[in-house]
Amino acid sequence: MGRPDPQTRTAPRPSEVSARRPWSLQARSLVASIIFLAAFLGITFLALDRAFYQSSVAQLEERLKAYALAFFAGSDLNVRGQLILPDAMPDARFIRPGSGLYAGVVGRDFYWESPSSMGRELPFELKLERGAERFVGPIDSNVGGVYVYSYGVSWADRRGEAQNYTFHIAEHEEALDAQRAVFQRTLGTRLLMMGVALLALQLLVLRWSLTPLRKVEQDLARVERGQSDHLPRHYPRELEGLTTSLNDFIESERERRERQRNVLGDLAHSLKTPLAVIRGEIESADSGATSVRQTIEGQVRRMEAIVEHQLTRAVTSGHQPFASAVDVERPAAEIVTSLEKLHAERNILCEFELDPQARFYGETGDLMEVLGNLLENAFKWARHSVWLTTRRVTGPGSRRPGLEIVVEDDGTGINADQIDQVLKRGVRGDERVPGHGIGLSIVQDIVRAHRGTLTVDRSAELGGARFRVRFEPH
Amino acid sequence: MRILLVEDEAALRETLAARLKREGFAVDAAADGEDGLFLGREMPFDVGIIDLGLPKMPGIELIKKLREEGKTFPILILTARSSWQDKVEGLKVGADDFLVKPFHVEELMARINALMRRAAGWSRPILECGPVALDTTAQTVTLGGQIVELTSYEYKVLEYLMLHAGELVSKTDLTEHIYQQDFDRDSNVLEVFIGRLRKKLDPEASLKPIETVRGRGYRFAIPRNS
Repeated sequence: MGRPDPQTRTAPRPSEVSARRPWSLQARSLVASIIFLAAFLGITFLALDRAFYQSSVAQLEERLKAYALAFFAGSDLNVRGQLILPDAMPDARFIRPGSGLYAGVVGRDFYWESPSSMGRELPFELKLERGAERFVGPIDSNVGGVYVYSYGVSWADRRGEAQNYTFHIAEHEEALDAQRAVFQRTLGTRLLMMGVALLALQLLVLRWSLTPLRKVEQDLARVERGQSDHLPRHYPRELEGLTTSLNDFIESERERRERQRNVLGDLAHSLKTPLAVIRGEIESADSGATSVRQTIEGQVRRMEAIVEHQLTRAVTSGHQPFASAVDVERPAAEIVTSLEKLHAERNILCEFELDPQARFYGETGDLMEVLGNLLENAFKWARHSVWLTTRRVTGPGSRRPGLEIVVEDDGTGINADQIDQVLKRGVRGDERVPGHGIGLSIVQDIVRAHRGTLTVDRSAELGGARFRVRFEPH
Repeated sequence: MRILLVEDEAALRETLAARLKREGFAVDAAADGEDGLFLGREMPFDVGIIDLGLPKMPGIELIKKLREEGKTFPILILTARSSWQDKVEGLKVGADDFLVKPFHVEELMARINALMRRAAGWSRPILECGPVALDTTAQTVTLGGQIVELTSYEYKVLEYLMLHAGELVSKTDLTEHIYQQDFDRDSNVLEVFIGRLRKKLDPEASLKPIETVRGRGYRFAIPRNS
């Protein structure tokens, strides 16, 4: 019975169940901006247009009024009491037929119209009291829409009777309309350009505002790659809650592992020393109690093995998404030096090829257990030579590189049919060299906890055993 | 041979000390790092057994300090912590071997003997100088293949002299390394042992294995076999 393979998943993750992803922040902002800008600029356009129009119409009225007064000033009653209008028109357009600018005067039995009005039947019927004025427009007429300014005047004739006349000036709306069209076109274009510029600015501002979020993402990636062990402290207020929580999480995970390691370490330590004492007692006991002694000795040995094994199993933290990258070269070199010291008398030469770029993503202790136990095995079994190779393994699109460790010796090697036995947890390949079994099972536990693989075969060049540990990039 | 034993667990320390003494070693024991350092400075030792988890001064620091002060005797680390990180650290600061608790005392004895031999420059368990061969594991001496009967103290004196074959060994050296602290030191006894050794190893007075250097000490005069 073993643990379920960590690679299989039996239920879909929650994020896979929902049908649609929510809009990106950028898309939200963009759509909202477009709607708002369209509305705002549209209203602005309408307001400005309206203001321009009203201003234009007011100006038109003033102009028509000025024409009317000009005509009035130039007119007079003749000796017979008839109104005579000036020959010279205030504007050349009054002369040209269909020019768009028309004048007319209406009296009791009098009607005059400017040459431009000839035959066009403009709405000049209205009669006004003296001093009264009226301005209307655009009103429909034979020539189209016109604005009409009307002003009532009176002269006293020879008899002293007031003669009422009404001056009318009309202008075709096309002049005003044309002006308005130009204004609208210009305004519309400018507003559109402004709108686009504002949108672009908005996008830039948004990008700038979202930079901290991107930074959080980058910093998290760095932590996951092992280049950093926490998120740096300077983020905008709004993100601080999130990043502080993340840092707390990372930290508390570390502490938990530390605690777990310490508790178990203390447990094992406190167990081991009484065991050592018992062992001491056993070894100094009388030979008369041999069978009891042998039983106790056997049990004690078993307990020692269990404690050793469980301690190392429990202490490895296994795969961690936020583990720092641990240099492999230096620990490997240190272990080789240590083993050469410990096995100095046997003249074993250890050659190594260590990739300076090789990294292990986990605790240094775990790496050293793997290297130490594999190399120690190799040293015990080797005749003269041990080879150690470490190599960085890259994969396409992976955040973390993998690692390969190969340990070979020139000893007797392990037969194919024995390999299975040796790899089975706790079973020793050969009792001749004590301690072989436990070391290997520790390596297996750590390798498996880190989702790696351990393979055993024969070394092609050295002829002895070859142990290969491989952690894939991911 | 004189052993420095630094172990904070009283029961283990006493059991070990008793066993080591039974094996013929002179033992000085300490229960914490500071005491261990003091002892290490005061007396000349042939080998040290140091536990890592010590009060007052951790074992690693003790080893480092001893090495810094020029103590070159081999040191074997004893500890419950068997992680490779601890092993490497211990060996890096200057220890020579590493034994994990619980252990077989036989294992400990074999390792200590090996350490002392290596420190004296012998790479194999049998010290051979000319026809004289001393087997450190069996604790026997042969002369031209024939076993020579020695008392335990005679053996110890000969072992020390042969380990340092060719080197001058002062009387003080010999007494300090052979006797327990609480024994009376009487240098005449030493001369008696040397005399007896000469008679047993060199009955025809032709070999002259042990040379007296007047006023300075003794020397095992037969060179080591290569």
